[in-house]
Amino acid sequence: MISIDRLTARAGRFTLDDVSFDVPQGAYGVVIGPAGAGKTTLLETIAGAIPASRGRIHLGGEDVTAIPPEQRRLGIVYQHAYLFPHLTVFENVGYGASTPVVAREMAERFGVDGLGDRSVKALSGGERQLVALARALARRPEVLLLDEPFSALDPRNRATARRILRAIYYERRFTVLQVTHDFAEAGLLGDVAIMLDRGRVLQAGNPEQIFRKPASPYVADFLGAENVFAGVARPIKSEGMDWSDGDGDAFVEHAVAFTTGSLTFYALGDAEPGPAHAVIRAEEVALSMDAATSSMRNQFQGRVIELAPAGAITRVTVDVSGTPLVAAVTSRSARELGLAPGVNVVAAFKATAVHLC
Amino acid sequence: MTRFLRRGVPRLSALSFGVVVLATACRGDASRSRATAADTLVVYVAASLARPLQPVLDSFAARTGAVVQRESGASLEHARKITELGRVPDVLLLADHEVFPRLLMPQHATWYAQFARNRMVVAYTPRSTHAGEITAANWTDILQRGDVEVGRTDPNLAPAGYRTLLMLQLAERHAHRPGLAAALLANAPARNMRANAADLAALLAAGELDYIYEYQSVAEANGFPFVPLPADVDLGDPAHAADYGAARVEVRASPERSVEYVGEPILYGLSIPSNAPHPATARRFLAMMFSTDALRALRSAHVDMLGTPVVVGTGAPPEVNDAARSVPR
Amino acid sequence: MTQPVPSLADLQVTSEPPESRRGSGAVARAAATVVVALAASLFLLFMLAPVIGLVSAGGARGMGALTRDAELRAALTLTAATATIATLLGVVGGTPVAYLLARRAFRGRALVATLLDLPLVIPHPVAGIALLLVLGRASPLGGALYAAGLRVAGSPTGIVCAMLFVSAPLYVSAAREAFVRVDARYEFVARTLGDSSWRAFRRITLPLSARGLTAAAVVMWARAVSEFGAIVVLTYNPKVASVLSYDRFTSVGLSDALPVAAVLVVFALVPLLALRGLRAAREERESV
Repeated sequence: MISIDRLTARAGRFTLDDVSFDVPQGAYGVVIGPAGAGKTTLLETIAGAIPASRGRIHLGGEDVTAIPPEQRRLGIVYQHAYLFPHLTVFENVGYGASTPVVAREMAERFGVDGLGDRSVKALSGGERQLVALARALARRPEVLLLDEPFSALDPRNRATARRILRAIYYERRFTVLQVTHDFAEAGLLGDVAIMLDRGRVLQAGNPEQIFRKPASPYVADFLGAENVFAGVARPIKSEGMDWSDGDGDAFVEHAVAFTTGSLTFYALGDAEPGPAHAVIRAEEVALSMDAATSSMRNQFQGRVIELAPAGAITRVTVDVSGTPLVAAVTSRSARELGLAPGVNVVAAFKATAVHLC
Repeated sequence: MTRFLRRGVPRLSALSFGVVVLATACRGDASRSRATAADTLVVYVAASLARPLQPVLDSFAARTGAVVQRESGASLEHARKITELGRVPDVLLLADHEVFPRLLMPQHATWYAQFARNRMVVAYTPRSTHAGEITAANWTDILQRGDVEVGRTDPNLAPAGYRTLLMLQLAERHAHRPGLAAALLANAPARNMRANAADLAALLAAGELDYIYEYQSVAEANGFPFVPLPADVDLGDPAHAADYGAARVEVRASPERSVEYVGEPILYGLSIPSNAPHPATARRFLAMMFSTDALRALRSAHVDMLGTPVVVGTGAPPEVNDAARSVPR
Repeated sequence: MTQPVPSLADLQVTSEPPESRRGSGAVARAAATVVVALAASLFLLFMLAPVIGLVSAGGARGMGALTRDAELRAALTLTAATATIATLLGVVGGTPVAYLLARRAFRGRALVATLLDLPLVIPHPVAGIALLLVLGRASPLGGALYAAGLRVAGSPTGIVCAMLFVSAPLYVSAAREAFVRVDARYEFVARTLGDSSWRAFRRITLPLSARGLTAAAVVMWARAVSEFGAIVVLTYNPKVASVLSYDRFTSVGLSDALPVAAVLVVFALVPLLALRGLRAAREERESV
């Protein structure tokens, strides 16, 4: 497991400031954030390349802050494979392995045992990363640190590498911390997501949770949430308890009326009266041709402004009382409904789909 | 256009390279130093004389506005610069007047003037081992001891070097102790040898050596205490020229060449070489050099100037001849 | 929040410059090329002519003289031996310093690097005097060495010291460059794979920087061989080749000095060429 406690460090322009988070034993952690956030710095500080000026690092329950990198029982794979150029593939894979047999096994798992005695200079990009992964894992680390290891690969190699890595991960159940800028990948892979910006942790937790309940409009924006509205929140105390849509959040303090522009909709949650942001995922917005009697508290007439098809999903921007609302519907539904700019539709979303921050 | 460039540039480079090579190959005979400024004085001076001469050079520069370029070094090195490299000075001052007839006359110079004497002494410093004990009576014993570092100049390069060898022979004669010269030489090994008298003095001053065979002028100029040597040993007195003649030494400059030196009084010589670049300035300098003021300055710098210079050869300028005929001072 | 689709107008390429402007640019470029070619030729001529002239003037006689001239042979052997020892000392002592300068950003790093470069700008005889002050018989350190029987001035030790002092800075700065060129991440990856710092250095950094280090050592050796001014202050006898050529020139003349110098150039070529050949072979095997 990885437990970071108030970690502070600096490497040139990049800093870490009071970073704390936990990745449980055997869990897959993901670090996300914009360029320059300090993601690589975080990995390298955990690995021991950069000294921590404050705070502690615990790996596998042991405080390794003062322990040199070679004793931290971890592996690191960068976006650049950093294969030792003067050694063969096999010498690279076996570099930290306890026995040649272990190294050979790992090379086989990654499908690079055939490259064996070749110089690493002749390898393709995809092969290099596979060798780099094999090399790190041949040492059987307890913690694996990955710095965007797949982002330089073409989609096919990326899929292959990911697949093999996942397989080994499920077998061995070591703890992983992977840096990625691709949030979709993060959502797919991770048990724990840590959002980093300018050396600080903005939010940490389950990726799904972060996605649904971003801690700030900035986070929401970074995560690609399409409906982020600034406005005023007004708790409606009078409606009290039992005011739910059967989502399971039966007992909430109060409902909130959120006004942005000339649009007001309802949300659930604890909010202070005053300025706030509301985040609604496009997938939570449903479109219909007419207002139906339904449990959704938020239904609005609107007119389609724009359609952006992307494969199976089409993003439909609807003008609702002057506020643009993006709905993600299947392209097929868009066709069947005859959605086109200028068409009048009803946009609806649940109160529970609105996240206030 | 681009096509021309791609092919033309390498050709152009080769052509320009060739042009430059040809130009330099067709340069004419050996270069001579040309007068660049109206008043320049190029002086080659023996190392042992460099320091005492400097004030005289400075006052010449101040009085006439001339730019003085001084080169100091071993006498033989100066001679080589003239004979082999064609670098000719305006005034040449050497520690051994014999260099003139042997190497420089008649091709590079037609006359020279003997102008100063010198003597060989044993110089040391208060820090030297046995400095408290050494006297004129016991120096030959002390300089044989194993615990002293004795240095001398390279006979190949500097007159002081072969004069040391001659002096040691004379010391052996004087003391009636056969083998003395060899013993003393054995205790002044090659590692303690230096290229010229000034370098040797520097080493003594630095404490690296205890005793050096050196010119008296250099010893005095550096403030070293010294052991004076008997007049028939120290090569300093013309009256003992006959005694000095008994010493002979052969110095091997290279496997093919060796030179024989015969003992004679130490006399410094100067000249204006035949191809001096600024002869008029040179004559003006010599006029000043033989003036009473300069004489006084040099003597106070421990140069044993002759009362009047002695001219050898023909063609010396009037400034020098006048000084030679004047009353000894 | 979708991006607007770029329209054709945005994609329009800027038009070609008119004919006349294109022509004058080419003329300027041609002129510049000529100037550069000329400068390069002059430079090459300047650098090569003296050496070629020297070897052609004295080379044959010099090689012949080798058989007869024991002093010349001795001087060459002494030069080679002392330069090699000085280079070895420089490599052993200078490599850690170069590594530190390359890898660790410590306070005063720039100052240390500058101080290490100082011997390069000190006039050579002055360097010799400086060494004499520290290592001479009259100094504390030198006196202790002397009492222990180790002579510095007037011995090959003095030669090695002078050579080391004036040429080591070249090695350190070149070695530092060689280390800088090896990405520190390679070393770090090796450490995560279980190597201690020393082991990672030995197995990764050293092989990857070997080419640069060798080149640096060659430069240092060459500089040591050619030194004169600092050596002659400390140790005149026994004579290294540079001192011998000066000696021969002064005592006998150019005719004797040229062969010595020419032979020295020829002999210096051998290790220089050999090492460059070694490096070319290495280039095949590795690249960083």
